[in-house]
Amino acid sequence: MFYSYGVTKVVIIRIVGGSKEWKISLGQERIRVKELLEKIGLLSNEYVVVKNGQVVSEEKTVSDDDEIVLYPVVSGG
Amino acid sequence: MVNCSICGKPAVYVNRISGKAYCKKHFLEYFDKKVRRTIRKYKMFGPKEHIVIAVSGGKDSLSLLHYMVKLSKRVPGWKISALLIDEGIKGYREYTKEDFIRVCNELEVEYRIASFKEYFGYTLDEIIKIGKEKKLPYQPCSYCGVFRRYLLNKVAREMGATVLATAHNLDDIIQTFVMNIINNSWDKIMRLAPVTGPLDHPKFVRRVKPFYEILEKETTLYSILNNLYPKFVECPYARFNIRWMIRRQINELEEKYPGTKYSLLRSLLKIISILEKHKEEVIQGEIKTCKICGEPSAHEICRACLYRYELGIMKEEKKKVEELIGER
Ligand SMILES: [Zn+2]
Ligand SMILES: [Zn+2]
Repeated sequence: MFYSYGVTKVVIIRIVGGSKEWKISLGQERIRVKELLEKIGLLSNEYVVVKNGQVVSEEKTVSDDDEIVLYPVVSGG
Repeated sequence: MVNCSICGKPAVYVNRISGKAYCKKHFLEYFDKKVRRTIRKYKMFGPKEHIVIAVSGGKDSLSLLHYMVKLSKRVPGWKISALLIDEGIKGYREYTKEDFIRVCNELEVEYRIASFKEYFGYTLDEIIKIGKEKKLPYQPCSYCGVFRRYLLNKVAREMGATVLATAHNLDDIIQTFVMNIINNSWDKIMRLAPVTGPLDHPKFVRRVKPFYEILEKETTLYSILNNLYPKFVECPYARFNIRWMIRRQINELEEKYPGTKYSLLRSLLKIISILEKHKEEVIQGEIKTCKICGEPSAHEICRACLYRYELGIMKEEKKKVEELIGER
């Protein structure tokens, strides 16, 4: 048997406050924040994105090992 | 693309329409310029004002409060106060109230918390329970909306406000615009102007929306960069509704065709100026004074008093309502 736990690298995406979490493996791929959100069915104009503790624009690239926190722009008043 | 177009530092924001990118410092400058331009363009404030900011405790209204306090430092004739309406929603309002008080203290701004309990004798939770028991046909958000709007105007006036500022942003406004087109509610569309108010009724406090041209994404970013983004607590009465679908559709359009939102706003401004010329057709009758409470009202009796009557949470005035309803 071959176990690969702990080996696979992923991007972790969380919504602030912890309501949802995604883990996505990009491998060699480097994609933009915008495309990453598309992959999980979200629109970039509905979130402010924090990558590894820094606010970034939707044009910023992401790769495995990055930690993404999403701040929803949606909410009343 | 990911570095600030002005200084080359890492960007926190890209304006999809102009293609310009901004670092933190230059985003805040861009934001400030944009809000000041909006305020000037629609002549929102004069040199001497007591500006009351309506704060819900959400990121937009905390941002507006923060922004206006900073701006007022440059205008000697302005006084800023904050007003929060406490509906009395357990598991929700107590948290947002904490954020509100913390921000007010940090900004050293005077504030007032006015509650449903204090003015109507009951919390929203209690009102909803009574409404259910009496089988009244209203949604929680109807009571909340009517009583909130009522108190905002009344309490702002009691505070001596010359103007009441609300945090509606461009997204809120165009969503409401589209909803009102669907509902054929042109009178409500007229109320979506950047400035509304004072001429209609002496007890109406003038209302302005300084974030009228600011995207929701921009107010959110402003709140995060200024450490104002509140802990996310959802109102327990929030329901999936048509606004959510419209928001999603508009955001999808904006993603594919940047500029859609501003386009919708321009359409709104245009139709408001056309409607202004046909006021009598759009608004049925003059604004009246509620015969029960004396507040401005579309009818003989205002919505808030009618709700209080139907809920049976009205004491002395009850007879008067019955007489008036009999008269109609
Ligand atoms: Zn810069
Ligand atoms: Zn009334």
